[in-house]
Amino acid sequence: MTSNEKKNNGPQNKSCLCKLTLEMSRLEAKKPSLCNSEPLTSEGVRATLSVWRGIVSSCYGPSGRLKQLHNGLGGYVCTTSQSAALLRNLSVTHPIIKILVTSVQNHVSCFSDCGLFTAILCCNLIENVQKIVLTPTTVIKLNKHLLRLCTNYLNSEACGCRIPVDFHSARIPLCLVRSVLTSKPASMLTKEEVDHISALILRTFLLTIPENAEGHIILGKSIIVPLKGQRVTDSTVLPGILIEMPEVQLMKLLPIKKSGALKVALFCTTLSGDLSDTGKGTVVVPCGVSLESAVLDQLLNLGRQLVSDHVDLVLCQKVMHPSLKQLLSAHQVIAIDRIGVTLMEPLSKVTGTQPIGSLGSISTSSYGSVKNLRTAKFGSKHFFHLIPNEGTICSLLLCNRNDTAWDELKLTCQTALHVLQLTVKEPWVLLGGGCTETHLAAYIRHKTCNEPESILKDDAGCTQTELHLVAEAFCRALESLAVSLEHDGGEILTDMKYGHFWSVQAHSPSAVNWSDLLSRCGCGLYNSQEELSWSFLRSTRHPFAPQTCLPREAVGSSSTLTVDCLTAKLGGLQVAVETANLILDLSYVIEDKN
Amino acid sequence: VGRSMAAAGSVRAALQVAEVLETIVSCCVGPEGRQVLCTKPTGEVLLTRDGGRLLEALRLDHPIARMIVACVSSHLKKAGDGAKTFIIYLCHLLRGLNAVTDRDKDSLMSENIQTHRRHWKNCCQWKFISQTLITFQTQILDCIMDQYLSGHFLSIFSSVKERTLSRSSLEWLLEAYFCGRVGRNNQKFISQLMCDYFFKCMTYKSGINIFELVDDAFVELNVGVTGLPVSDSRIVAGLVLHRDFSVYCPADGDIRTVIVTETLQPLFSTSGSEFILNSEAQFQTSQFWIMERTESIMKYLHSQNVKLLLSSVKQADLVIYYARLSGISVVECLSSEEISLIQRISGLSPFVIPQGSSQCEISDTALVKFCKPLILRSKRYVHLGLISTCAFMPHCIVLCGPVQGLIEQHKGALHGAFKMLRQLFKDLDLNYMTQASDQNDASSPLIYKNSREGNQLEEHGNGSLQKPCPNTVVKNKNKLEKAQTYLKVISNVELEAYIPCSTVKLTPTNTFQRDQTPRCFSLEKDGIIDDCEPLIESNSTANSTTENTRVDISCENLEIAGKGNVLPMGCRLLDMCTSQSYCSSAMPAGCVLPVGGNFEILLHYYLLNYAKKCQQSEETVVSMIIANALLGIPKILYKSKKGNDSFPQVYRRALHALQTNQPMVSSQTGLESVTGKYQLLTSVLQCLTKILTIDLVINIKRQPQKVHDEDSEDEL
Repeated sequence: MTSNEKKNNGPQNKSCLCKLTLEMSRLEAKKPSLCNSEPLTSEGVRATLSVWRGIVSSCYGPSGRLKQLHNGLGGYVCTTSQSAALLRNLSVTHPIIKILVTSVQNHVSCFSDCGLFTAILCCNLIENVQKIVLTPTTVIKLNKHLLRLCTNYLNSEACGCRIPVDFHSARIPLCLVRSVLTSKPASMLTKEEVDHISALILRTFLLTIPENAEGHIILGKSIIVPLKGQRVTDSTVLPGILIEMPEVQLMKLLPIKKSGALKVALFCTTLSGDLSDTGKGTVVVPCGVSLESAVLDQLLNLGRQLVSDHVDLVLCQKVMHPSLKQLLSAHQVIAIDRIGVTLMEPLSKVTGTQPIGSLGSISTSSYGSVKNLRTAKFGSKHFFHLIPNEGTICSLLLCNRNDTAWDELKLTCQTALHVLQLTVKEPWVLLGGGCTETHLAAYIRHKTCNEPESILKDDAGCTQTELHLVAEAFCRALESLAVSLEHDGGEILTDMKYGHFWSVQAHSPSAVNWSDLLSRCGCGLYNSQEELSWSFLRSTRHPFAPQTCLPREAVGSSSTLTVDCLTAKLGGLQVAVETANLILDLSYVIEDKN
Repeated sequence: VGRSMAAAGSVRAALQVAEVLETIVSCCVGPEGRQVLCTKPTGEVLLTRDGGRLLEALRLDHPIARMIVACVSSHLKKAGDGAKTFIIYLCHLLRGLNAVTDRDKDSLMSENIQTHRRHWKNCCQWKFISQTLITFQTQILDCIMDQYLSGHFLSIFSSVKERTLSRSSLEWLLEAYFCGRVGRNNQKFISQLMCDYFFKCMTYKSGINIFELVDDAFVELNVGVTGLPVSDSRIVAGLVLHRDFSVYCPADGDIRTVIVTETLQPLFSTSGSEFILNSEAQFQTSQFWIMERTESIMKYLHSQNVKLLLSSVKQADLVIYYARLSGISVVECLSSEEISLIQRISGLSPFVIPQGSSQCEISDTALVKFCKPLILRSKRYVHLGLISTCAFMPHCIVLCGPVQGLIEQHKGALHGAFKMLRQLFKDLDLNYMTQASDQNDASSPLIYKNSREGNQLEEHGNGSLQKPCPNTVVKNKNKLEKAQTYLKVISNVELEAYIPCSTVKLTPTNTFQRDQTPRCFSLEKDGIIDDCEPLIESNSTANSTTENTRVDISCENLEIAGKGNVLPMGCRLLDMCTSQSYCSSAMPAGCVLPVGGNFEILLHYYLLNYAKKCQQSEETVVSMIIANALLGIPKILYKSKKGNDSFPQVYRRALHALQTNQPMVSSQTGLESVTGKYQLLTSVLQCLTKILTIDLVINIKRQPQKVHDEDSEDEL
């Protein structure tokens, strides 16, 4: 048996063998995996991490630099500074960066906002921790304690960097939307356009809220309709649904005879006259028997029933048979087909119909109605506009000059709408413009200096010195995140009362009175005319207790604030620390090279 | 082209392989272990501390390595835990075997073994060793577990008879388990989550079945959500189906539901049949009939007050339409696993479409408390409040994490934990050959002893029976007192024993019993102190044990007479044997030991003692090797500890405690399953036997052909 095997595998059968191995390699993995120990200590990984951090931090904030992504072969070019677009298009190979990127992407798909925040914070944490000589075990444990300190503080009443949101006034929600818009510079909006779009987004959001909502609110849906090549200020929002249609087709359907309420039937099944599923067996049809005509008969019967039921508008998700269309239009019934699956749910909601899946008798309860139907022309596009009696569906017609800017604007609008939804659920916002980060860092420094026991209370394994070291790394990570907002060589200061973020333009004369040079802090809450003392963020300061419990009147006085969504930022903070901990905990990387 | 290896070389080669694996695996062992990142060829990134996953991800090429990995995975399938420990044991065992055959390292061997070495070298055949290993694994190990170790076991149950489980002891067990399986910062959280889950799903009467159910249907009982912090993970009541509603009609109150496994709309033809259409009219009539029929079925369901249709197949548009009209919610395309889980929980059988007339009664509907969409990170799921008809209260775990890899890790760890509990809640049969001394048996009426009787004896026995026996090892102190009390014991036992039908068991394990209730964990207990008090019920299921009380007592007497050597008496018992008899005993469900290498040190200690008493040299050597290999795990566990907690100190203290029969004090809280450890050791020994029995590794270029069933039939 053994010798036989050996003979068969002799060299004379080489070609056969080659073939065999080829087939084998298709069947099972052949190459052993690559195994690296202590991945973070390798120079290559550090370099990759720092390049990656450079990319994301240069995008951060209103003055962030844009990235142009293209494949070098022509075609689509993406200009962006948003994490969602950037990470989707960048392909990373190193497993550690991959973990980081997926982590951020998952965060973004949950919260839409604060993706760059998460990415930069995570990188900063990893880089800072590597400089201190502590075991990963200790660092991870302490990072977790510090994270808990942060989340407890940000969720507490005493928090000095969060503002309650009152949806009775549009001020804070508008600030929130504006902050989202300005932080994405690739949408290329002027100041007036930002004002226009932020008002529009807020209006869109309000249209999705049901009018008489009691208890559990189910938000409606806003459909973004693209209109490229128009001025941004032409953007508008309409209640109801817009169905795009070529002009020729639209003319055929016109004029709409009836005004006022229209009876609607919505079909989800095909009306093209195809045979339905006939089962697994065979169906034998003798020559001369035409099933198509039988089905068509059935369709025409259906059409007659629709006419006799006084239906005014027939909508079909799939294709409609031309004969049926003709029959319907002969009876002044408007028929629109190929609606597509995405519009089905909103249409069903707006009209109050039940999508019909039957070619037989139709229950009258399946019909719905719209208040009115009209045609509209926006730019070069023609639309049917279904105006509902009531409902929470609206269409946002979004205009921008070119494709890339429009894509970016669309993403921004979606983010803003999502952030508003999150804020309705948890009506708080955090101060933006770097102020939350510097304030939080000051708070942590103060806490670890004065009450280290309270942080280490249920953990006997760590010393206070270790806590100080890790807390310093953690605070530096937060502060350098805030510093990433500045891209023009300016200097960053922090005040010693609130712990807010102040930036000074580059090449400012030194040794002058800071209060003259500075105007407002990052979030816009405080101005420099108060009696404040400043110090450079980079320099070491004595820990001080930043003022907690934000007074209500302080919020009222300032006109425009930069604010961030609390839910998204808190989620980002948690995910960043958890991901950093995860990466720091790695002792091996095993790469399957098959 | 074949590649051959010499037999001796194969141990060395296996050792080399095992050592490489050990270095990788040992970084993940214990509470201080770290994570490993694995990438798949598909680009997926996995985080793991699971030894099984790790070994799989390495995609090892070496034939011995592949065999080891295969052994590990078959062990994991059964026990759900211990892959890393497997490798470490194996590596130490191979190292031990290698050292024995290595001539240059004689100095390491003790004097006792030196004398045996000559014989060893003479018959140094791997086959022989592997046979000894098999003997050890099948007989000696069980014997030692039953006779010596069982005295140290604790029970996870707060009441052994009713098998009630207190939360704190489960927490200790799970925390220790997750210490080795998930990242450091999530251990506590995941263990709490699992604990909550367990107590929410369990009714007081549910026993082991719940673990079987959860283990079998684990995939269906959890949902992963990426992008959220781990701390957002939670438990939801009811079942979460990984689907969205095709039709959702909100309904209140109790909702009737049916399961269908076929399309409700009749089709023209079924598989294998032919349908002949002769005219357009016939076609139209058939279509009309189909419509009517579908409508009538749906109306019938509606009339039966059915509000929810769970379908394993895609239903036609028409069905969906009528469902919507009738206010019936529909969930389609459920997997067979989901359907079977629902059936298992609710006892519901699929709805059979009435043939012919629709007057047929629906035999089976189930009530559902609620049925609503559940949105997790913008993905929609069906959330069902199934009313359970079995002991399992349906709950689902929503597992959150920043990346999928982490969620997978937590899923795997939770699943493994259920596997581990499933094993722990089973009685473990121990079968071994024990040697009874014939000369005593002949005169003794106590050959067969029944544990139940033994318990009875304890119940109404007087204090003199139980009090003298608090310690496993009778010490030289208090000789006189002991001797006297033992005399009383004898008289008592004999009295009982002469009653014809009720035989009495007074096995060594039973005589260890104190006049105390079994040591169990209760909520009040703060720390765990392991002393030598065994469980009363530890032998309750033993059918026949052949230890002879007379012999025991004579042992004691011998000892009392001043041998001065403190050793467990059972050992001596074995020494005296002349004949063998089979013995089957059982380790009761729920046996645990404190973590931190307690099991290993105990077994090490008793094995060394056993080895000293062995007559056959190869048995001695094998026992010594295994005993020493066992210390590998505690060595790693205490590696980072310094001073008083360092391994030599812990080891010294433990040995001292065992020798002087004092309680072993464990510095760590946490418990581990004895069953798991036992199974692991047997698996490792089996793997080692396999390695030793291979003398040639032949490399062939195609897959070894599987023997088909047909062949065997042909032979028949």
